[in-house]
Amino acid sequence: MRLGDYIEELEPDEEAERRRLAKEKSYAITDHLERFERNFEQALSGDTLVGSSAPSIFVGRSNYPDISVGVLSPVGDESQAEEYVTDGKWYQQGYAIDDVLQRRTGLLNSSKRANVDSPGIASRLAPSVQDVWDGFVGVQREVAIADRPVDLEIGLDGTPDLGLDAGTDVATPRGPRATARSADLTENPHVPRPVKKTLEDDDWQAQGAMTYLYRRGFDVYEINSILSAGALGEAAQRRLVPTRWSITAVDDTIGQYLRGRIKNAPSIDEVQVWANEYMGNRYWVILAPGTWEFELVEMKSPGSIWNPDPAGNVWMASAAEGYEGRSSYVEETAGAYYAARLGVLEHLESIGRQATCLVLREVSDDYWAPVGVWQVRESVRNAFDGECGTAETFHDAVSTVTQRLPVSLDRLRRKSTLAAGLQSNLSEFK
Amino acid sequence: MFKAIVSAATLTSALDSVSVLVDECKIHLEEEGLSIRAVDPANVGMVDLTLDAAAFESYEADGGLIGVDLSRLEDIAGMAESGQLIQLELDEETRKLHIQIDGLEYTLALIDPDSIRQEPDIPDLDLPARVVLEGKDVNRSVKAADMVSDHIALGVNDAEEFFYVNAEGDTDDVHLELTQDDLIDLQVGPAHSLFSLDYLKDMNKAIPGDTEVTLDLGEEFPIKLYFGFAEGQGQVTYMLAPRIQSD
Repeated sequence: MRLGDYIEELEPDEEAERRRLAKEKSYAITDHLERFERNFEQALSGDTLVGSSAPSIFVGRSNYPDISVGVLSPVGDESQAEEYVTDGKWYQQGYAIDDVLQRRTGLLNSSKRANVDSPGIASRLAPSVQDVWDGFVGVQREVAIADRPVDLEIGLDGTPDLGLDAGTDVATPRGPRATARSADLTENPHVPRPVKKTLEDDDWQAQGAMTYLYRRGFDVYEINSILSAGALGEAAQRRLVPTRWSITAVDDTIGQYLRGRIKNAPSIDEVQVWANEYMGNRYWVILAPGTWEFELVEMKSPGSIWNPDPAGNVWMASAAEGYEGRSSYVEETAGAYYAARLGVLEHLESIGRQATCLVLREVSDDYWAPVGVWQVRESVRNAFDGECGTAETFHDAVSTVTQRLPVSLDRLRRKSTLAAGLQSNLSEFK
Repeated sequence: MFKAIVSAATLTSALDSVSVLVDECKIHLEEEGLSIRAVDPANVGMVDLTLDAAAFESYEADGGLIGVDLSRLEDIAGMAESGQLIQLELDEETRKLHIQIDGLEYTLALIDPDSIRQEPDIPDLDLPARVVLEGKDVNRSVKAADMVSDHIALGVNDAEEFFYVNAEGDTDDVHLELTQDDLIDLQVGPAHSLFSLDYLKDMNKAIPGDTEVTLDLGEEFPIKLYFGFAEGQGQVTYMLAPRIQSD
């Protein structure tokens, strides 16, 4: 489809409607918080949460390496525990920002402080998390490697901080937290075979083990949880990894694997533009014939999170890599870079092609609360559904798309390496 | 057969100018000197290096070809102080390179040359403009551009006869003009091309500050950048494909 027609068809009548609904819905969160508070009181027996079910874990990053390690459990909604796990299903089910916040604030984080190297007293002699299966950290690790929610009992210490102050419409409601004294499994967790394999093989480097799990059909969400619990990699290297770091580590590692798979693949043969919009974020993915090159440019509207001044300028960030990738962590765009790159690489690998790729992310003021980097990953992954727009040249595509962006072509060129110029190669000049 | 003695400084300069683009390379051991030609995996930057037999204290070769891991060889050369001599000898039977620095002996396993990326053909480019300047001016241009951007435009103003460097960043710009007087030589012609600073920065690292560097430029065409080292007995030519601004 010609790019002009493609963009016409995107005309956002229904989007405007969705945005309006999203705005109205944001007040529903207050009711939700009150309901949670009631559930919580009911579930508490003395200082113990009984009949709890934990679908996932959280490892904090503040005060590293003495970090907080937690199990996340929906209180009063145990039978639906699976639904509380952040993954691609949230996108498929069309979760809005509110739905995500309801899930997040509905998960109690019962945590304990631990050292990333030697969380248990017994393991202090051999500082690695590798053999820790007892105590709170052990239970937490069981939850991480299991492929379904694990039933347990959590002993709480002191009064939980429900953190349920939804009084302002600016602050993001965070999930309630409690300090845990202990945790005990009340069932035998189910661990899939490939995970057992990576767990048991303690000579296997983390990157290889992650790639193996991915090839065996595990999505990055599951791998992330396993890495976070220090349940793969060479024995002496195993650590508890803060959730936030491990998300990016997995996106980056799997991305590198996929990039290797397309390095010698033929190029796509036309300039394609794919668009997607989700939760007040619009994505344009421009693919052009050529060798692998990737750039993410983010434009955050005034009034959106991270750029709260409604009268300010559009805030821009970008990061790029060439054919051989980058040697340094991205300074701008951070985790979103690796998440978007993964989405694009999965598409290219599935069609067995390489391409030069520019992803433009426009964050509107409808994006009022941060939901996490999964939103970027899923939006880009799913941008390749249906038809795409085609253009004669990469620069034609960029200038056409720029008419829809909140920044001028000149400003985009200054920020974006790819928009400024596409890398040619020497064989084109013979 | 290959047997040579060379100063550490000369060997290091030669290796550094290749290793900025590739990790492994083939070295041709010709009677009149050694030569290396390599292109980076993206086929964007290329190096062509020759080091004449006269640059060595002693040199004997009869046309062999070896493959080396550059970082290993650089590490070994780095063990020598700059005034010291390095002795190299190829053991044809074991396909290993014996390296001696003072009393230190190192045996380096070579790489099968067939497993190394094919050497590139040198594009035959007709570039209309030529700029000859000192290495330190190249360094200054690259450094200034790097403060604001990750790419750099190099061009020649045909009418007013000057060479210029442009870099446009997020908010800041860098512009540098060098006239006939600032340069060693200038042959004007229509020239303006954009280059990735990632590559130019690496190439710049290999350029001695006090050497004479020649830049051949065209419009949205590769740059050919060359300079001598080892008192003129070595020659490095880089070619770098541009970033295309229009289609």
